[in-house]
Amino acid sequence: MKSRLAFLLILLLAATGGAADYQPALPGYHYDFPRGYFSHPNYQTEWWYYTGNVQSADGHRFGFELTFFRQGVSRTPASSPWYVHDLYMAHLALSDLSGQHYYHTERINRAGPGIAGIDAARGLIWNGNWSLHIGDHGQQITGVAGDFGIGFSLTPQKPVVIQGQNGISQKAEGAGHASHYFSLTRLLTSGAIEIGGTKYQVEGTSWMDHEFFTGSMAGDESGWDWIGVQFSDNTELMLYRMRHKDGSVDPFSSGSYVDALGKSRFLTERDFTMSPAGDAWTSPQTHGEYPLRWQVSIPSLGMRFEITTPLRDQELTSTLGPSYWEGAVDVRGQEGSHALRGVGYLEMTGYAQANGSDRLP
Amino acid sequence: MLIAWTALFFRLIVRPMLREKGRSLLVLFAVALGVAVVLAIDLSGNAAAGSFHSSMQTLTGDNDLEVTAAGGVPESIVGQLDRLPWPLRVAPRIEDHATVLPSGKTVPLIGIDFVAEANSHSGQRQMAEDPGTFNFINDPDAIWTTRSLCPHVGCRITLLINDQNRDYTVRGLIPAAAQVSGDAVVMDIGAAQQATGKTGRVDRILIKVPEKPGFDYWQQKLRAVLPSGVQLNPQGSETAANRRMLAAFRWNLRVLSYIALLVGAFLIYNAVSVSVVRRRADIGTVRALGASRRAVLLAFVAEAAIFGVAGSLLALPLGRVLADGAVRLLSTTVNALYITSRPGALAFSAGSVVLAFIVGIGVAVASALAPAREAALVPPTEAMARGRREYEIRVARWRDLLLAAFLTVAAGFASRVPAIDGKPVFGYVSALLLVAASALAIPALVSALTRIASALLEKLLGVEALLASRSLAGSLRRTSVLVAALSTAIAMMTSVGIMVGSFRQTVLTWMETQLPADLYLRPAGAPGGDRHPTIEAGLADRIAQLPGVAEVTRLRDYPIEYQGLPATLASVDADPAREHETSEFFSGRPLSEVMKELAAGNNAVVSEPFANKHHVRAGDVLTLPLGTGSVKFRIVDIFYDYGNEGGYILLARPVMLRYLPDKAASNLAVYLAPGADLETVRNEIGKAAANSDVLIFSNGEIRRQGMRTFDQTFAITYALEAVAIMVAVLGIAGALISIVIDRRREFGLLRFLGAAGAQIRKLILVEAGLIGILANIAGLTLGYFLSLLLIYVINKQSFGWTIQFHWPVAILIGALSLVYLSTVLAGLYPASIARHLNPIEVVHEE
Repeated sequence: MKSRLAFLLILLLAATGGAADYQPALPGYHYDFPRGYFSHPNYQTEWWYYTGNVQSADGHRFGFELTFFRQGVSRTPASSPWYVHDLYMAHLALSDLSGQHYYHTERINRAGPGIAGIDAARGLIWNGNWSLHIGDHGQQITGVAGDFGIGFSLTPQKPVVIQGQNGISQKAEGAGHASHYFSLTRLLTSGAIEIGGTKYQVEGTSWMDHEFFTGSMAGDESGWDWIGVQFSDNTELMLYRMRHKDGSVDPFSSGSYVDALGKSRFLTERDFTMSPAGDAWTSPQTHGEYPLRWQVSIPSLGMRFEITTPLRDQELTSTLGPSYWEGAVDVRGQEGSHALRGVGYLEMTGYAQANGSDRLP
Repeated sequence: MLIAWTALFFRLIVRPMLREKGRSLLVLFAVALGVAVVLAIDLSGNAAAGSFHSSMQTLTGDNDLEVTAAGGVPESIVGQLDRLPWPLRVAPRIEDHATVLPSGKTVPLIGIDFVAEANSHSGQRQMAEDPGTFNFINDPDAIWTTRSLCPHVGCRITLLINDQNRDYTVRGLIPAAAQVSGDAVVMDIGAAQQATGKTGRVDRILIKVPEKPGFDYWQQKLRAVLPSGVQLNPQGSETAANRRMLAAFRWNLRVLSYIALLVGAFLIYNAVSVSVVRRRADIGTVRALGASRRAVLLAFVAEAAIFGVAGSLLALPLGRVLADGAVRLLSTTVNALYITSRPGALAFSAGSVVLAFIVGIGVAVASALAPAREAALVPPTEAMARGRREYEIRVARWRDLLLAAFLTVAAGFASRVPAIDGKPVFGYVSALLLVAASALAIPALVSALTRIASALLEKLLGVEALLASRSLAGSLRRTSVLVAALSTAIAMMTSVGIMVGSFRQTVLTWMETQLPADLYLRPAGAPGGDRHPTIEAGLADRIAQLPGVAEVTRLRDYPIEYQGLPATLASVDADPAREHETSEFFSGRPLSEVMKELAAGNNAVVSEPFANKHHVRAGDVLTLPLGTGSVKFRIVDIFYDYGNEGGYILLARPVMLRYLPDKAASNLAVYLAPGADLETVRNEIGKAAANSDVLIFSNGEIRRQGMRTFDQTFAITYALEAVAIMVAVLGIAGALISIVIDRRREFGLLRFLGAAGAQIRKLILVEAGLIGILANIAGLTLGYFLSLLLIYVINKQSFGWTIQFHWPVAILIGALSLVYLSTVLAGLYPASIARHLNPIEVVHEE
């Protein structure tokens, strides 16, 4: 399994065209919405990440992830719809937290004659029958796999949060080691989940990340840990730390805090600590060892909390790209003297293999 | 009891069998050859046309449904299917042929979506995951091949696709997991679409549906969302359709092989009869010693069974050898007429072994039953009487003749019964009845002719001839069986010869009207029943501009499936300029009139085989799925055609372009201006076509090519006939030998009375010659009637071709003379045996 993964990774890297045809993420970028929700073909890699925690009326908890990737291959103009300008990948995962089962699947396509693509005019981003519709008043996501499926309506509760500073989210030292990154940190979510023919009506909150860049990680980085949390007091937090191959954390790790009114505050690496706190879980498939308990402290916000997960195996094992752990988590801690509670999603990449991809998530 | 019977069996059967090894071997060989032919046809039929998959069934994976349309499926449907909110897997394909240069080998060319295949679980997923694949995803010259075409990655191959030669680089080998048998070239769908010129369309979309709630549910659900212009069928239905089309072909072939067996049956019957006659004394003895009739009957049936078992055993390897040859001939036919396919492996299944034994033992025992019954009925006293005379049972000549007349009438009725499930079952019943009638009429023929001939023969050839003809008339039953065997073989040869000859002549005449142009162009590469390569669209216009060219007309064809059977959808330039004396249409209307009607709207003409297969007539309406929509065409007429068994639906070119806008042509016909020089124009066309690899044929060349294809098609038929004749001639030799052995006493007596060795030889050769003549007369007569059945009933019901009756005089005379000569030559060996009999010894035996 592992050798096949490495194999695919190599081929995808080889296949993707020279970065010279694409531009790096540089400071001073100006976002323009709603156009900004869609494709940025000048950048080689782009993704739309939806994660969320939902539950049914009788308390059955689920987590979900639906991600659309675009990877630039060639910018040569061509008339045939089969010409591969971009590869479109997508991941769909469903964590049945109450039922203790993790479902996931992935796919890759070319745009082809309507197979996958991004259509700003129709507000659509799709890969086969997995789709994201971005309308004026809300968004819809659907994903159908063999034995499970999701279909949600998402209503943003907060304005777009531009991550990073000066229009870029720096990932490492040096120009271009950055991405353009924005989030919708609180999306009111309602819809249906289907597992093996059983349908659940669910409600909850979701998080959307949209990033685009051209080769952002530095050579000595091995992966990252990311968390997006929605606290019960209507505030949100995002943190990521870029790890070096030697285990140290890159000083360009950062984050953001969004208050109840939707105002965001940039957090630098010096503003927080985010560290594993045991409870290692070894993937039976990739043999990657993931820390499933984390301690976070943000002194400037007076915050201290612990991250745990209700479902240990939420590793998305991919044959088309690197595998990673991405799962629903619970947050419990203190903000000043108040109790702090929340739900969120934790992403840990670069554990399944020694060398993570520098172009792919 | 059992011991007693075993002793009887040994005395009556085994000992004589061992004593007369030559005769036993001949019977054995006749059985073996007959069974081997049936077995060979069964085996090779399975390999060449039975278990065959269309070569397009390469890399089809484990899909459930397929979407097709005449002229290709609009590619937008791929996206539409992919976006349906159901967990389907969708695999679009380009399917075509490429010719590998310089070898000229035609291989299937498959275009698949290498990106999406990475999502699949089929063998091609491995290809999609190969590092080479994504690197060259946009490279129009990248191909993947089987190891048979290229030993290592990186080698370069020149492929002729449609009319374009191009160098391709092998970027990967098709892995074993993809389970491709034979050669194949795979490209990414984008490159394949470009190479084949199928812009905007794919040839097939394969769909994998979830197991639940069921196949029918998904088929209905998909049918409801797909446009009416596409067909949705279970995957592999093309193979099923081809199989259906080939069913009639195989069935006829099999029946033909049974005729060889029938000839063999006559010979077994003869052999057993002779052996019964020869052992009359022995039978008498064992009967007198208390053996029951049943025991004697059983002994002879057991003997036949032994021949059956041994013959079938021998037939297994023999049939295998014959099948190897037959497969080659058969696959030529299948490729030329039906579909590009690779013959499968010859598989000796338990079924084929069982078939061999059933046929071998069955025929042997059945043919032995009547003579064995006779043997059992021999009264012991008569059999043991001294001074044995030729045993002769009376033949009820007149009763048999009456029965023959009755069977002939029955055959007439059977020939009027329509085909059952596309198979001319009653046509063959009718043929069988005619063979039986002929066999029954032969004793009367033999006795009448020998009586008339004996006086004449004496005058012409002397007293030996008189003796010969008397002897034939004397042993009427034995003679009749021999004549029947040989005449059946001759009848088979004659009837098939007449049918093929008539067909050939019909096709020749038809080509006169069908091929009126001076020059024809088609893409280089081997033609085949299902290959439809195209010529780039601009060439026709460039040729039309050349000096000396009066007109260029374009034919374009697409393979389609109509009501579960393959057919060809074609378009022609409606050119009322040319005109023929003979109409090509059922209505008898001139070409210009039909063409005018054809161009007037959604009208079509269909070929005769199509009309027969689908039971349509002028005035009927055809509905064709043309991708974007389902279109209705009114049949305005039916035309004669011998080029395509699946049948043609012909539209006017502008009508076709309205629905299938691809302007490339499949063939071009060039008419010269009056006075233009053929070779000059041909050279000019060659220059104009410098960018395309096309072949240019003059009118004469294309006709010769047509006839070559025709002859290839019937090669297997000729081979089968040859085998039947061989069986018959061998049988004659065997029978004559047993006659000699049987009549030792008679010949000895003749020698004793002073006859010279040469006279004995002459006597036997005249007998052989007489048998030959009688068989020729009977065979030719029977053959004529059988040919009528073949042409007007069996062919019409299975293939739907109108064939004009025509005597292939030269071929018939040649073949009949050869048979006659072989018959006489077959008498040489027994004649030399008889010559060397020692008269004293022979007479002393008594």
